[in-house]
Amino acid sequence: MPLLINQQLAENDKWQTLTDAEQPLPAAGAVLLPLERFTAAQAEAGSLELAPLVNGDDDINVVLEQLDQLTLVGIEISAFTDGRGFSFARILRRAGFKGQIRALGDVSQDRLAFLTRCGFDAFDIPAERYSNEIANAFGEISVNYQASSDEPRPIYRRD
Amino acid sequence: MYQYTEVDQTLVDERVEQYRDQTRRFLAGEIPDEEFRALRLMNGLYIQRQAPMLRVAIPYGLMSSVQLRQLAHIARTYDKGYGHFTTRTNIQYNWPTLESVPDILAALAKVQMHAIQTSGNCIRNTTTDPYAGVNANEIEDPRPYCEIIRQWSTLHPEFAYLPRKFKIAFTGGPEDRAASQVHDIGLHIVKNDAGDVGFEVLVGGGLGRTPVIGKVVNPFLAKEDLLSYLEAILRVYNLNGRRDNKYKARIKILVNALGVDKFRALVDAEWEHTRGELKLTDAEIERARGHFSPFDYQGDAVKNDLNERLATDADFRTWYETNTRAHKVAGYQIAVVSLKPYLQPAGDVTDVQMDAVASMADQFSGGEIRSTHDQNLVLADVREGDLYALWQQLVEQNLARPNIGKLTDMIVCPGFDFCSLANARTLNIADQINEKFEQVDYLHDIGDITVNMSGCINACGHHHVANIGILGVDKKGEDWYQITLGGSSAADASLGKVLGKAVAADDVANTLDKLLTTYIAIREGNESFLDTVRRTGLEPFKESVYAPAH
Repeated sequence: MPLLINQQLAENDKWQTLTDAEQPLPAAGAVLLPLERFTAAQAEAGSLELAPLVNGDDDINVVLEQLDQLTLVGIEISAFTDGRGFSFARILRRAGFKGQIRALGDVSQDRLAFLTRCGFDAFDIPAERYSNEIANAFGEISVNYQASSDEPRPIYRRD
Repeated sequence: MYQYTEVDQTLVDERVEQYRDQTRRFLAGEIPDEEFRALRLMNGLYIQRQAPMLRVAIPYGLMSSVQLRQLAHIARTYDKGYGHFTTRTNIQYNWPTLESVPDILAALAKVQMHAIQTSGNCIRNTTTDPYAGVNANEIEDPRPYCEIIRQWSTLHPEFAYLPRKFKIAFTGGPEDRAASQVHDIGLHIVKNDAGDVGFEVLVGGGLGRTPVIGKVVNPFLAKEDLLSYLEAILRVYNLNGRRDNKYKARIKILVNALGVDKFRALVDAEWEHTRGELKLTDAEIERARGHFSPFDYQGDAVKNDLNERLATDADFRTWYETNTRAHKVAGYQIAVVSLKPYLQPAGDVTDVQMDAVASMADQFSGGEIRSTHDQNLVLADVREGDLYALWQQLVEQNLARPNIGKLTDMIVCPGFDFCSLANARTLNIADQINEKFEQVDYLHDIGDITVNMSGCINACGHHHVANIGILGVDKKGEDWYQITLGGSSAADASLGKVLGKAVAADDVANTLDKLLTTYIAIREGNESFLDTVRRTGLEPFKESVYAPAH
């Protein structure tokens, strides 16, 4: 599936997403695991690099507690109507997370700008929803009023 | 009134082009139906029974004559020559084509208007008192704060996919003409013991299937904390509101499930994070207030011929007594333009009428018009000496029916004739009631009363908070109407109680007649209908409607 990182199409991505609970962990590499399995697998990770994949029903505080050990947090958007991921990203950035926040699941063009404002910097886009125009989404609205992850000050506190 | 900055204008202009591209991609099959539905709703576009319906935002119900003329132009050019004012003080067009909507949005942007977030599961247009800034009892004009909320909520990146829609209402003093207690958030300007002005914050009110009066979550919020506190509430709601059942997704369900104390604790914890970064500056509050400075009222306005006119023209006098309200400045009056003419759908207004009202506003009321949550228009700053001329023009446009606050000043949703959600028709029932209660003297004898009607349980017609509420229900393919009594959306807000079993479509007006006859028989002194119901309970009214005929 096409992956956008910092608004550019990324060619090589080391992360493998394992959502099938039956599928064994690989011996090496970088693996994105659903939060519960991620928590359980950490002790036996060895040389594996692990990252949590959270969905809207998960407790984001579990991730916050170990944020300094993470380089990536995946946020699963189960349906485009589920807006909890926007708040998750805001909370992660507010806590000082500098790693990658990647959106997976029902991710498509018309939400990319808002997701970016909230702190997402990577988008795993389903192939059928990808087009060459997709990056247009980032420039459609050039102004905003709110403080968010990309601009800590609301418009009335900017210089 | 508020004038757009370069940022405001850029935002609406770019939004038009964004939506134009979304429409193009949808028509080219690149956006699935479900997803385009969410996108068009966030631009106010529904697909209804007859055609698409476009809802245009009128922020806190205030518009200029230039804007109203543009709304008339849109009605003429893209619709069938009329629009419909709603209980969110917005205007709806019932007949635009999907393809024409980007052009309509462009026409709106030219006059500093838009349709952003007039629908969808996002923060909707903030509503307020139509007499804001001109009523003597207000502590402060709430509109600058409404504008501050408008900007904060417009294209808020985090709150575009909430569990459900979200509505905020603001009042400037102890009187409530904005139904603020049945909103997701109700904000009241209050003064604390120290004499500081701030906001009382209510949360979790609402109508629909589960009507609830809002609960106080914060008795006094400092002005500077307005947005930081709202952002905290919205974040708590976005994260914790139910998403498994759309009928249980409003914030009222969350507040009820947690209890207001636990909800408050969650908000306060989140507020610790937001109150620094989102603190309103004095400069920003002053900037907003600067856009709503009072008109240049003339001291000589008190010298006028109003009393002579009232003495010599009985029709004018009836209109004056019913359709004007006291203004805080001597020599001025607030004039209400009735959009409830005889046998016309409540809130409907033609392009010709809109142009005429725009001209009246220019001539008599500083070029500004307000829309009200009970679907009328207001000219808020009319010199008493101009009232007679204004009335004559209103009469000419069929906008002077003397019924404001009376029985025929009903809130009525469009019902089954237009709305795809409705179970029952409403417009025919409104006509039936109008025919039955045409006589002005009788209406005035009944006095102030609210009658609201919804065509389904979603309660767009606010029937729960009417003195007499009428809810259309479908029983085996037939329209029936459930009556509630004793509701109010004013400062003493209450939910109506069900009178008894639903009545047949052709029996609604007769039922109202029985209720009103009972009221007149048992009222004490000048007691209003609502006060009588509150004193006696439903029993005497039940008996009059359901007792077997002798």
